[in-house]
Order: sequence, then structure tokens, then C-alpha cells
Amino acid sequence: MTADTITQEPVVRVDGLRKKYGDAAALNGVSLRIHPGESVAVMGPSGCGKSTLLNMVAGLDRPTSGSIVVQGEDLGAMNETGLALFRRRNIGMIFQFFNLIDDLPALDNVALAAQLAGTSGRQARKRAHELLEELGVAHRADSYPATLSGGERQRVAVARALMNRPPLLLADEPTGALDSHSGEQVTNLLNDLNRLGHTLLIVTHDPRLAARCATRLIEFADGQVVRESTLEPTP
Amino acid sequence: MSAVWRAARAAAWRRRLQTAVIGLVVLCSATTAMLALGLLDAAASPFDEAFGEQNGAHVVASFDSSKVTRAQLEETARLPGVEAAAGPFDQMVIAVPKGARAVPAGPLTVVGRADPGGAVDRVEIVHGRWPTAPGEIAINQRFNVPPKPGALGSKLELPGGGSLTVVGFATSMSQSAGAWVVPERLAKVKPPAGQMLYRFSSAATEERVRASLAGVTAKLPQGSLDASRSYLSIKAAFSGPSDDYLPFMTVFGVLGLIVSVLIVGNVISGAVISGFRHIGVLKALGFTPNQVVAVYLVLVCLPAVTGGVLGTALGGLLTVPVLETAFAGIETGTATIAVGAWVPVVCLLGMPALAVLAALLPALRAHRLPAAPAISAGSAPRATRGLRMQRLLSATRLPRSVSLGLAQPFARPGRSLMTMGAIVLGVTTVTLSTGLTSTILAFSEAGGGSGKATEFFVRAGRPGMGPMRTLNDPQAEAMLRSLPGTLTVTPGVFLGVHLTGQRQALDVHFLRGDTPSMAAQIVSGRWLEGPGEVVVPPAFLSQRGLKVGDQITLESKGEQARASIVGEVMEGGPRFIWSLWETLETLAPQIPADLYQVRLKAGIDAEAYAQAVKAADPGLRAEIDADEGESIDTVTVVGFASVFTVLLTLVAALGVFNTVVLNIRERRRDLGMLKSIGMTPWQVTAMTTTSMALLGAASGLLGIPLGMAGHRALVDNVGSVVFPDFMKDVWHVPQLVLLAFAGVTIAVLGALLPAWSAARLTSAKALHSE
Repeated sequence: MTADTITQEPVVRVDGLRKKYGDAAALNGVSLRIHPGESVAVMGPSGCGKSTLLNMVAGLDRPTSGSIVVQGEDLGAMNETGLALFRRRNIGMIFQFFNLIDDLPALDNVALAAQLAGTSGRQARKRAHELLEELGVAHRADSYPATLSGGERQRVAVARALMNRPPLLLADEPTGALDSHSGEQVTNLLNDLNRLGHTLLIVTHDPRLAARCATRLIEFADGQVVRESTLEPTP
Repeated sequence: MSAVWRAARAAAWRRRLQTAVIGLVVLCSATTAMLALGLLDAAASPFDEAFGEQNGAHVVASFDSSKVTRAQLEETARLPGVEAAAGPFDQMVIAVPKGARAVPAGPLTVVGRADPGGAVDRVEIVHGRWPTAPGEIAINQRFNVPPKPGALGSKLELPGGGSLTVVGFATSMSQSAGAWVVPERLAKVKPPAGQMLYRFSSAATEERVRASLAGVTAKLPQGSLDASRSYLSIKAAFSGPSDDYLPFMTVFGVLGLIVSVLIVGNVISGAVISGFRHIGVLKALGFTPNQVVAVYLVLVCLPAVTGGVLGTALGGLLTVPVLETAFAGIETGTATIAVGAWVPVVCLLGMPALAVLAALLPALRAHRLPAAPAISAGSAPRATRGLRMQRLLSATRLPRSVSLGLAQPFARPGRSLMTMGAIVLGVTTVTLSTGLTSTILAFSEAGGGSGKATEFFVRAGRPGMGPMRTLNDPQAEAMLRSLPGTLTVTPGVFLGVHLTGQRQALDVHFLRGDTPSMAAQIVSGRWLEGPGEVVVPPAFLSQRGLKVGDQITLESKGEQARASIVGEVMEGGPRFIWSLWETLETLAPQIPADLYQVRLKAGIDAEAYAQAVKAADPGLRAEIDADEGESIDTVTVVGFASVFTVLLTLVAALGVFNTVVLNIRERRRDLGMLKSIGMTPWQVTAMTTTSMALLGAASGLLGIPLGMAGHRALVDNVGSVVFPDFMKDVWHVPQLVLLAFAGVTIAVLGALLPAWSAARLTSAKALHSE
């Protein structure tokens, strides 16, 4: 992270974030900043609130209290439609289990995000194909998710996340369901994306992924940030 | 068993929405079935039972005594095809004067019979005893109510002098006589007719009855058979009014049952498919395949039994007023009008059984499903399904949310077809109901069911009923014609007559003057043109086995008039027919008209006209309000159609609702992902409703022709009404276009609620769902 990025308006600004499910608190007063171009890894034991934080930042869930501002927009002030439109413009999400639609071939899965935003089918497919090419899975463009390997599925999912050129990529255990070889491929991919200027927020259990991809590590426990540290990039 | 019960109870609670849908569907279907079966039973079985107990006559035949001897008639009883016979009995018609306590004034068919028993027509004595002396008479009790106080033992004065003492009341389900005396009483007067009662070995249909009778009378002198009446026409008369409703009730009942089976099958198979993982867990826990089946059957039984009990109770409550309306004024004899005990039993047991049967097939699928793949199976449909369609649609210019929705039904073709089946039946019902309402309203407007303010009767006062007229008949007609605004005047009078050879009295409406508007209601033959002609309603023909072109003989106080049936009017009671004034002059030349049918010119104030009539003669009363409003028939049929339409539309919409709920449950993860990449709630709603709208549109295209065919089949088979073509041709382009939207409307109505719920579903929750 350079001095330049620090002085810029943060991409993500979270203040006093709390989330309760019944009596159980998933987040307990979390505050953090993520600046443009940063790659932040969030680690911690299961149930500590990492994925909840990610959902809040994506506008997929609403906090019990506190505020979240992403790209200068206060998510708390938006209705559901506003949040959907916000996600189209600003967020790309990568899930542990890919969440591809079984009924659609890889190309259509990727194109879908642009088509929902009103891009014509032809244009959306053209861009989707370019992305699949960049990610090395263009040869599987017409294949359905069920016939793809785990690594291929995740690369298709990454292509879909990149479809609308979002400034912020959120990844929830992106290598959690992959074998070591596929995991390595996805790790390299995320690294490349960060180098190209995408801001990353990665939730992971995998210290190697954090060490390889992240410039900053946030450690979570019991819904709170317990430690933050800067990471040196490892080859 | 307790493990099965616990698992089923837990599953029912977890799927409470689906459980509620099954319960509601079964409730609606049980209500419909109870209504339909109740009416069918009440209409058919009481007659059959009472007729069977009396060993009723398949034919009551009346022979001309001047053309055939007793020996010849006795010989007919031994002919092949005759199972049993009784008679010959002497028969004659007497005119009962006013004031008799036991029987109303008018013609009365009296039969000389020594014994109420015998091989055929075992007359049941309900009060008093059978006549044993020439001065005694037993009256046929037409209704299942006690006789008037003092009727038993009263005297029946005879027109030619003398009297008979009423010693008993009896009932013949064959309606073989209006009254009975000892044979000696009639033998003295040499009656003109002899009665034979036959039971045939072949008498299941009207044609067979006719054929059997023809076989029996073939060797008798020509023209000796004066009149005959088959038991089927009596049975038809018994259930006549309900015949108007039975086709409607039956069709709607059957539709209800089919929709019920479809939707319950759909709901249960959906429950099994969406519960694959649950099945796997049950099996992993140690549930045997049979126990798994039991869990799913119990899961269905819980709401099905509840819905069946509530639906049967509701149907039972609705049946009471329906039967009261349908059988009002029927000659029931000893038959009791009530719903048989088997009807609620069948509904109570049948509807849940039907639901369980519908559940059995998918439950057996659960039986076969191995535990491991069940646990690991995703709940979404297999990827191979509907892919081609998905691909084709994604290449179109449609908004992506719409094309995604349109492709969804192809992912689960079985479920989609069953849902479509329910919508098709819903659209069929709406189409049928719309057509029926149009037909019934057209019928009503034509005068069949309701009067219009521009056409009404002016009635002359009678003794004891308001002031007496001061103007005589010709003066009254002239006065009405002279009043401003009069368009036509048709004077008329009702005369009670008797059809030779038949016990039942008729009321003939004799007309003169201008042709009445009902002349336009002729559905076969033509309107009256001269003397010796009658036009009759369909029920008159069907109950007597007559047709247009046949000859009948009208009798009144010893006078006779032959008449040809020249036309059939659209509807009317079986005892009302119409003829011209010239025919009346043969039977009763001195009778004046006391009823004037008046039609006014357009724009004339009927109330002011009525005042003018009253001013001219206070004894003449214009019955402007008497005919206004819809008839009971119109209200009942339109009411039934509306109730059934609401019930079946609700059931069809519930089917759609259930399908969408299942689809959403299966696709929660997809929905969450779609939202995560920016699908708005509106797009989610559009996608979900579009998926069902497609089924709705396709169902509309199938359901409309089915409904139109059903409408035609129904209106062509209404017992007592024959609709002219213009009343049956009710389909017009705007109406059909609206109906085409009925399927889409049912589909969207059913889909909207779960679609909204899907739109509101939090993405994070959706993504975490199994």
C-alpha cells in the first residue's frame, strides 16, 4: 500500500458494525477501512463473523447497528433495489462453492451479470468470452457447471465477478472447495487481479492464500477485530 | 410407529405452507364433491328405493274399452317380455268440484281396484284404509305430508250426484291413479278406459320401454292403446327441477376432483423431491424404506383428513338449502328427500384416500432412493433438463430476468405439466362459468327467467282476491289497446284440463290477440297458427315420452279437444302448455280472458301505465313488479357456477402457489447468487411470475376450447330447458381475449405472493440455504 492510496477516500469504511441473530452476536462493533488497490485478508476461527462481515460489505445482509460506506455510498440508506443496483456497479463476489447456475453453460453464467444490467446478449457474451479467455477457460465456454472441474468452476465464477468491472472484489473462502492445484491457480488469479488494480477483500482459513494475496491481514475472534497486520508479499 | 409419527409431524411442521395448501385443496374438493354427490343421490335414490319397494309399474297403460276386451288385455300379461302385470282395472276421470277437503278441484283419474297389493304397483296406504264398499274412495297422496285436518272421512261430492267417503290416503310411485275405488263402483257406469300395469324384463331406457310396450300391444286392435306413461318419465318428473342443476353440479364436481388429484399429486411429489436430503437423513438414521413411505403418507394424511372433514361439513351445510331449492314442489310420494349416509362417508374417506393415492407414487420413489445419493443430492433439478430451452431463450432479446423465468418450467417438466393441468382446468371452469352465465342471462332477458318493465301481465280480480273487474273481457281488451303507449295486447286464460289417459292435470294458457313475445322462444316446430294446436315445454315432452308432431287429447268437464303439438318452447313447467283461443272454444266456450299480456312501446313509463289501467278499472291490476328480478333457476345456476368457479380457481391458484413455493425453495441458492450479482427485487418477481405466466398462457389456449365444449355439452343437456342457438352462441372475440388472460391471471395470482417473498428473501440467507 502506498502513501497515495492511504490519502485517497477508502473503498470500504465500516464503523461500529454490529449484527445479531437472535441473542447471538455475529459482529460486535467492527470498524475498519479498506483503501483502493488494497488486498485485505480476513481470518479467524469458524463462526467468528468473517462471512457476515463480507455479506454486510456486499449489501447482502443488513447490520443491526453501525454504518457501512462502500465507494462513498452509505449502504444503510439504500433499499433492496438500490442495493442490487449498487452491487452491479461496485461488487464482484466469489463464493467458496462457486454458486453457478446449473442450467446455464459457463459463458451464459458469466454473461448473466451484464445482461441483468441491461447489456445486450451479444455484447455480454463477447465480453464474457474475453474474460474466459483471460482466465484460461474459454475452451469450456459451452460446458455446463456439472461437467467442469472445481478449478474451472471457480475461474468461471471469478469471470462472472469481473463481468461488470467492479472496483471491489469480495471472495469468501475462494479456495476452500478446491484441491491444492486448483487452489494455487485461483490464488495466482487473485494476485494478478490485485496487481491490475482491483481492491480485494478475502475471507479465508488458508494462511497461504492470505500470505500470497493479501497486503493486510485482519484477524477476527468473537465478532471483533483482534489484530491487524501488514503482510509482505510472498513469491 | 412413534418414530414415523415424530418424523412426519416434524416434516409437516417444516413444510407447513405446503401442508396448509394440501389441506385447503382437499377442503375445497371435498365441499364440491359433497355438493355434487349429495344432489345426485337425493335426485336418484329416493325414487328408486320407493319405486322398488312398491314393485312399481314400468308402464301404466290406458286402453279404450270400446276397442279392446278385458280378455284381450288379460292375455297381454302372459306375453313374452312381461315380467309381471296387474289389471285390467276400470278407469275414468271425474271432475272434482270446488270445496272438497281431500283433493283439489279439477279432473281426477279414478281406478277401480280391489286390492292395493299385487304383482305390480303395490300401493302403500299411508293414512286410513283401502276402500271396501262402493261408497268409499282412497286418494293418492302426492306429497309426503299429512293430509289436511278433516280430509280423512270427508265426503267427495260427485258432479252427477252422489258422493264418496274418503277412507284412506295411499301413494303409488307409479302414479297409476288419482284415487281408487272398489271395482264394483266403476263397473256400474261402464267406464271408457281400462288400465294395465306392466313390468317388463327390458325397461332400462325409454326406447326399451317403448319397444316392450309395442311388443305387448302389437296384437291388440289398432287404436286401442289410448295413452301410456313410462316410469322413466315419472322419475324424470321427480328429479325434473334438479335436472337443471345436475349437469352443472356433476361437471363442476368432476372438475374439482381432477384438480384436487392433480394438485395433491403435484404437492406431494414436490415434497418428496425437495426432501431428498431429508429422505437420505431418515434412511441414514435407520428408517426402513417402508417407514420412509409411511412418513410421507402420514405427512399427507394430516392435512388431507383435516381438509376432508372440514370440507364434508361445509358441503353438508351447503347441501341443505340447495336441496330445498332443487326439490321445492316435487310430488315425492313416499320417497324421502335427503342425502344418503353414504355421501358424507364417501367424502370423508374418499378425499383423504384420493390424496394418499396421489401421494403413493412419489412416496414409492422415496422408498427406492438410496441413502447416500439422497444425502449428497442437490435439491435443484438435474442440469440436463431444459438446457436447450434455456439456451434458446438466452439468445433472444428478452430481458434476462424474463428469459430465465420462461425457461424455468422446462427444468421440471413433470411438475410443470401437472401445474398446467390445474390451470387448464381452472381456465376451463372460468370459460364454462362465463358461457353459462351469458346463456342464462340471455335466457333470462328473453323472458324465461325474468320479466321486463315494458312487458307485463294485467290480471283481472277474482273473488276473494282484490276488487272485481267492472269491464268485461272485450271492454278490458279494448281499454288496454286504447291506452297511449300500448304496443301489443294478448288476452288469455288458464284452464285446468286433463290429458286423456293420464292422471296429472294440465294448465293450458289459451291466448288470442297479438302474438306474444314468447313466440320467439320456439326451439323446434313453430308457434300456434290455428285451432287444435298446442306448443309445449321440453319437460312436458320428456315426461310423457312425446315429441313435436304428436297428437294429444285435452279433456275438461266431459268435453274433449284433439290437438297437435306443433312447437316446443324453450322452457316451462311440465304441466303448462299453450294454445289459441279457438281451441278453448271447443272445450269451454264461455270462459272470458282474465290475464292480459301487455307490451309497451319503448320509453313508456310502466308505472304511469299501471295507474292508467287502475283508473280505468280498479279490478284490473298491472303486475309490473311481479315478474321482475331473476328467477330462482337463474340465481341458482349462476350462483352455483360462481361458487364452483371461485372454488376451482382458488384451487388452481393454490396449485400454482405451491409450485412456485417449491421452485423457490429449490432455487434459493440460485436466487441468492442472482441477487449477489445485482438482480433487483423487481427482476426476481418478474422472473418468478414469468415462469408461471408462460404456463398460464399455454393453459389458457387449451382451457378455452375445453370450456367452450363443456358449455355446449351442458346447455344441450339441461333437463327442462332447450336453449335456442342464439343463446348458446355466446362467444365473441373480446370475451375470448379476456378469457385467454384467465390462465395468465390464475398463474400470476398464484405466483405473486411467493414471488414477492422470493424478492424479499435476504441474499445472505439464500446463499446459506441447503
